[in-house]
Amino acid sequence: MGAAAKRVTAIARKEFIHITRDWRMIVAVLVLPLLQLLLFAYAISFDVRNVPSVTLDLDRTAASRSYLDSYSTSGFFDVQSAVPDYAGIDSAFDRSEARVAIVVQRGFGDALAAGGTGAVSVLIDGSEPNSAQLGQTYAVALNQSLGRRALASWAEARGLGTVRVGSVEPRIQDWYNPERRSADFLIPGLMIVIIMIVTVQQTAVTLVKERENGTLEQLLESPLTHSELIVGKMLPWALLGVMDTLLITAVSMGVFGIPLRGDVAVLAVGIGLFIVSALSLGLVISAVAPSLESANIAALLLSFLPGFMLSGMAFPLASIPVALQVVSYLFPARYMVEIARGVFLRGASWGVLGPQVLALAAYAVVALGIATLLNRRRRA
Amino acid sequence: MQFPWTKTDRPRPSGVDDGDAIVVSGLRKTFGDFVAVDSVDFRVKRGEIFGFLGPNGSGKTTTIRMLCGVIAPTSGGGTVMGYDVVDEPERVRENIGYMSQKFSLFQDLTVDENLRFYSGIYGLTPEKYAERRAYILRMADLEGRENELTGNLSVGWKQRLALGCATIHEPKLIFLDEPTSGVDPTARRQFWELLNDLANEGVTLFVTTHYMDEATHCNRLAFIYRGNIIAEGTPQEVKADLTADTILQIAVDRGEEALAALEGLESVDEGYMQGSLVHVNLGRRTAEDAGLREFLVDHGFEVGAIDRVEPTLEDAFVHLVTQQGGRA
Repeated sequence: MGAAAKRVTAIARKEFIHITRDWRMIVAVLVLPLLQLLLFAYAISFDVRNVPSVTLDLDRTAASRSYLDSYSTSGFFDVQSAVPDYAGIDSAFDRSEARVAIVVQRGFGDALAAGGTGAVSVLIDGSEPNSAQLGQTYAVALNQSLGRRALASWAEARGLGTVRVGSVEPRIQDWYNPERRSADFLIPGLMIVIIMIVTVQQTAVTLVKERENGTLEQLLESPLTHSELIVGKMLPWALLGVMDTLLITAVSMGVFGIPLRGDVAVLAVGIGLFIVSALSLGLVISAVAPSLESANIAALLLSFLPGFMLSGMAFPLASIPVALQVVSYLFPARYMVEIARGVFLRGASWGVLGPQVLALAAYAVVALGIATLLNRRRRA
Repeated sequence: MQFPWTKTDRPRPSGVDDGDAIVVSGLRKTFGDFVAVDSVDFRVKRGEIFGFLGPNGSGKTTTIRMLCGVIAPTSGGGTVMGYDVVDEPERVRENIGYMSQKFSLFQDLTVDENLRFYSGIYGLTPEKYAERRAYILRMADLEGRENELTGNLSVGWKQRLALGCATIHEPKLIFLDEPTSGVDPTARRQFWELLNDLANEGVTLFVTTHYMDEATHCNRLAFIYRGNIIAEGTPQEVKADLTADTILQIAVDRGEEALAALEGLESVDEGYMQGSLVHVNLGRRTAEDAGLREFLVDHGFEVGAIDRVEPTLEDAFVHLVTQQGGRA
């Protein structure tokens, strides 16, 4: 073994001992990511089902009853109770028992029977915009389908063929995520963000610690070069990053039923480059941060926020302000989230994800170079 | 390991085996407007214990860092064990040992793991490592404690283990930056015995300290003050300037106040505290002329013994600094 390889091994081995000797570190590296995955995957769900609702039937006919029943059976609305008047709706909203109220106006049944339009109001508690929005969407969709059915039964009663009434009905079919489960959409992204948080955080403090303990000075006075120090520091963390990836992937597939449709090789190469990029980002922080606390805070800010906001994990990148879109290119997560989603959900392979992988490779090289240069410059 | 853009070693004749261990000329380092080291020149012979003395912030550590090739000098340069500190810092670092007051051990690693780490850093073969490990454990009195966490060792053991780690590759020159700072007197004495052993084996030692009593262990000294070397030579040479002077050691209560009062006297050239005793330099005057006892009694101090003493290195240092127009 050459002298350089010996020095890198010495650093990597020592780094590994630091990790194994500190149980908090093991928890932070292996248990917390899983916990984060479980918490986030359950907590951040964009699926709104069972919106709590109340009904107010002012018509009290067979038609109005069957109309309101369709809400209970839809699965989107959880009808808590039928209230006698508008005051009941108010108090249900106030007590947060309901977010949506469906009101059938007087004359609904007669109007339908006459082939006219039945009057229905859908009242929405706008104080929680997300569920309100979805509640509204569901209600509109439900009414359209009920309306068509009502029209059909009215036409049939009059002996008219429904075909001739004719109306265009789009048939929307979801590909890749046919059940439109937000978990499928979120978890591949979440997995990347979690790995990013772990790796950036841990490497961000590693050099600062050595500087504060005076051991860095000792190493600088030895034949060890900066590149060797950085490679040696990265090796154990890269290994842990890979372990985290496997662990999180296993849980995502096993517990959340995320499919893995694409080329695993693309994913593996992508993750490798991504981990190097994230570790380099951490080492850049380590080179610049004046103290352990500031390194920790910087790592948190630079991994957590961009991870969630600028990776495309939760919000489509096209929908964020242009300035932030530009900033998002400075973090490796956006490339990797695309790769992960592509491989897991769309079954994509090299042809499609090539540009992302290349971008990540370029990122890794540049970040590693900057980390090495910055750490070297601290000498002067 | 080096990235393609790192500067590679140029083949040049260097690392001559004879000649001085350290040769420095015009070595200067500035940080912005601050002159940390102001064009110093000195030589350290092979096998000597060279004491580099000066108060905190006088430029000692900056000088060491330049000599080890950790930071580049603003101007000037020098050779360490025959290698140029500017052009061949890698060669320099392979041939020296370095130990600082922080001891630079990994506290959460065991004694053995620390040794093994530094053995890897200096690229020892397994056979050499086994030999050095046994030697260092014996030297540091750590036999049987190989698997103890370094953080649990008391300071004297840590210090000796740090010396062992810094010398695991058997360097012929060791830089020791305040190695005894914060260590109790017994451990300090034991440590100096180890340093003397190394010197007897022909190892050159470059030691910085602000403990003047430790300077007597050195073959030669250099005083650095505000980035300048203000005196250089053997301890005797450094003190020679003062041997004709009268140095009095005064036992008195409220020493600091007494010193302040004495410094106002025209007959007192210099004064400072040595422990709880007041030292004053009367220059060429005799003790009788000064009438110090009467002066102190008149001012309400309780005066004990007043003795004429041989100048110590500390006296010499205060003298030199006073001549520079500053206070030690």
